Amino acid sequence: MLDTFEILTTSGVVLWSRTYASVSPTVVNNFINDVFIEEKSSVAGAKNGAPAAENPPYKHDQHTLRWTFEKELGIIFVAVYRSLLHISWIDKLVDNIRAIFVGLYRDELTKPNTTIVECLTFDQYFDQQLRELEQAGGKSDGRAPKHEVLSEDTGDEPPSPPNHARGQQTQPGTSPGSSPNVSRPGTPSTSHLLVAKAGPVAKMSRRARKMQNTNSAPASSGDEGPTRKAKAKPVKRGRKWDADGLADEEDGVQLDYSVPTLTSDSEVEAGARPGAVEEVDASTWGSQAKGKFVLKDLGDEVHSILADADAKKSAATKTDAPSGLVGSGLSAIGGLFRNVVGGKVLTKQDLEKAMKGMEEHLLKKNVAREAAVRLCEGVEKELVGVKTGSFESINARIQKAMEASLTKMLTPTSSLDLLREIDAITSPSVTSLRKPRPYVMSIVGVNGVGKSTNLSKICFFLLQNKYKVLIAAGDTFRSGAVEQLAVHVRNLKELTAREGGQVELYQKGYGKDAAAVAKDAVSYAAQEGFNVVLIDTAGRRHNDQRLMSSLEKFAKFAQPDKILMVGEALVGTDSVAQARNFNAAFGSGRSLDGFIISKCDTVGDMVGTLVSIVHATNVPVLFVGVGQHYSDLRNFSVKWAVEKLLSSA
Amino acid sequence: MSLQQTLKDLFEASLTPSPTVILFGLAFCLLAPILLHFLYSTATPYTTLPSVLLLGPPGAGKTTLTTLFERGPQQSSSSSSPVAKTHTSQVPSSVELSVNSDDPSTSYKTNLDDEGATAKKFLLVDTPGHPKLRAQSIAHLTSAEPTIKSSLVSDGGAKSKIKAVVFMVDAAALADGDALPSTAEYLYDILLRLQKRFHSRNGSRAPASMPVLVAANKLDLFTALPAALVKSNLEAELGRIRVARSKGLLDSGVGQDELAANEEGDWLGGDGSEKFSFAQMMEFDVDIDVIGGSVIGDGPGAEKWWKWIGERV
Repeated sequence: MLDTFEILTTSGVVLWSRTYASVSPTVVNNFINDVFIEEKSSVAGAKNGAPAAENPPYKHDQHTLRWTFEKELGIIFVAVYRSLLHISWIDKLVDNIRAIFVGLYRDELTKPNTTIVECLTFDQYFDQQLRELEQAGGKSDGRAPKHEVLSEDTGDEPPSPPNHARGQQTQPGTSPGSSPNVSRPGTPSTSHLLVAKAGPVAKMSRRARKMQNTNSAPASSGDEGPTRKAKAKPVKRGRKWDADGLADEEDGVQLDYSVPTLTSDSEVEAGARPGAVEEVDASTWGSQAKGKFVLKDLGDEVHSILADADAKKSAATKTDAPSGLVGSGLSAIGGLFRNVVGGKVLTKQDLEKAMKGMEEHLLKKNVAREAAVRLCEGVEKELVGVKTGSFESINARIQKAMEASLTKMLTPTSSLDLLREIDAITSPSVTSLRKPRPYVMSIVGVNGVGKSTNLSKICFFLLQNKYKVLIAAGDTFRSGAVEQLAVHVRNLKELTAREGGQVELYQKGYGKDAAAVAKDAVSYAAQEGFNVVLIDTAGRRHNDQRLMSSLEKFAKFAQPDKILMVGEALVGTDSVAQARNFNAAFGSGRSLDGFIISKCDTVGDMVGTLVSIVHATNVPVLFVGVGQHYSDLRNFSVKWAVEKLLSSA
Repeated sequence: MSLQQTLKDLFEASLTPSPTVILFGLAFCLLAPILLHFLYSTATPYTTLPSVLLLGPPGAGKTTLTTLFERGPQQSSSSSSPVAKTHTSQVPSSVELSVNSDDPSTSYKTNLDDEGATAKKFLLVDTPGHPKLRAQSIAHLTSAEPTIKSSLVSDGGAKSKIKAVVFMVDAAALADGDALPSTAEYLYDILLRLQKRFHSRNGSRAPASMPVLVAANKLDLFTALPAALVKSNLEAELGRIRVARSKGLLDSGVGQDELAANEEGDWLGGDGSEKFSFAQMMEFDVDIDVIGGSVIGDGPGAEKWWKWIGERV
């Protein structure tokens, strides 16, 4: 069953929640981190108003989360349940709750400078919704075949003919929470009234559904809810009563309507112990009559809210066409005016042209098309429905949003202080109980991107900080590779002799297995008391399966603390594939830890490769190579990159 | 008949090009926009409240503190719990709070309306602590008079002056060592910005001092470090970061000519001193206090923080 349902704002405050089984808050926190902040999932989180079925479920540690997001108000609706369970109606619940909650509390939610939303009364709405969906969801309703087709996995049980026996079978299994076995006489007059009341709603929603079906396919999945509920009602009547198996038709009508509407605590309790039928009946008599009126109204209210939401949605899809010549002319003039003055609510049409321009701009900056399109889509989603500030043009607004978006993407999640990490490994604190060992770094990449050069730049930086460094020649393939490193080591030795650094080359010649050489180098470094081991590797083409597969063995043997990939700033669209393939090459448990972007001095403003690779892998950029000298290695500064990317020279 | 006649006369008079009519017309044309402006400008509140910026690493308890202060005065009246359940924030949010202007030590729980005390209002701006979202929160601290948009959630909205910064840390997490570097790094960035702000003054007037409160939260937990230890740990770590940054690589985009300017800019605190201490920041008009407390549980509570904030707005 459902573990938790939470309604929370983007500022982190839980407005309303219902917990059935306690779930660690880290589940939802991780969900927010991964989906909304780091946007790890393929579909970015900023999708406004998409039904829960379209948002991919988020799975974390035995729990599955279904969610939907109301962007305008900044509210996330999330349902958590055990991954083992298949709850067919969960999407519907999330969507309906969103519609109801937004319908009820829209005014309170838009208040500035407060986090309080008084929604204590929302409990009953939720209960009502949950019960309806549980009852309707478990049984395949013969009268609504449409729904079966649309929903993903209806039918935990096979559909059976709509007779009494079926009702008895399915009832206990599907809705243990409600109280099907308790018989509840009520006043006939009220129930008739209620039937009359329910009629128009059912009709209306049916009409709404028809409208939807003619309109658009994706919208209809969310709209099925109210229709189904309204329909399910008459069937419910029969079933409830059948469970007792005593009543005549007339009684059945009354009873039927009382059951789906109960919420007061005593009644729920009654449901929990169905054995004590007599007692419960007597004790809940009073509250039940009262509760019925209230709750029946509630059901109607809920349905009308849902129907409203549907109607709005269908209206929104309809009114795309321009409304007459005069109207469009006026709005065009108004739009032009607002373009200049600001205060315009942005629509997709407004943004389209400007976004195309931004995409072009990014492509010119050497960002891979895939990344540029995704960035622009994200920004567009973020901006639709936003009001521009006074005297702010659309382009300025897009520029601002793109800057924020790029900054967010390029900023690493964790600290990247290399010196501190080395210190933590080579001389761990006394309390941590770790043995000191050399810090192992290895460098991979495509042929000719500058692996050895960047390796020696890093080595130079480490030597300046007085570390004892061992360079392992892991390129046992290309002739001259070892000699090249030997030259670097000789140079570095001379350069840093005064500073107190110490460097040595570990080499086993050509033709040996690189992984074995790396492993030997690490154990040698541990014996001799080196602080850092830098392992060079042979360059390999990222789409050569044979060469790439040896990387997995290498990662297993050498156990590097950091695997850095060197990428050229010169390369274009291929950078995405390079980054992806290298990131995946180290087996399931290991991935890249960072990138070094070399040859940045040769591209000027066109540093789009940075964006492409970070977009493809979510791995941060550590260093940037900006020249030929040992000292031409720079920390990556996000601000610098964003400025370069957005500058229009 | 006579009424019709007068109306007709009036109509005719209004269309004749007489000086009176022209005068009226001109007066209307000129005054109407001005009148409309005043009508609208009085309808929206002009005065913006000062704000207190709440920063800190994720999971320190920033949003929880915000909800605690906000729900404090209502605690007696409603049955709801003193704090709301919270999750990771993605956008900043602000709440309007009021402090007793005569006696700042009044508890945040007292309802000032009932007491009849004169209230001073301010905004407490809660920010997301996630590293990817920090840049936005601290972007404004460098300017001489740091301001922040009062309603960051929706665009547009008056800018509000930042009076104080509260940096929240999780004292229990600092104990085991992994959280300390990242926390200190964030604090380092903030302090460096505040220090640069001191240099960015124009004219002889120094910018107003910026008080910073390091709020050591979660002291109700057994494993939490006391405030004094939090202070010394953070100082030691900040000193280490300072040294590491001076030895580390340059940032990309820094040219050779900017080197000299940058060298003094990136060194946090006074020059030449071996160890970093918060007192060194006094030189740049940044006074830092470290006060322990707890948002939930049976710890020391949040009263001291409230008093600190109350004294500074």
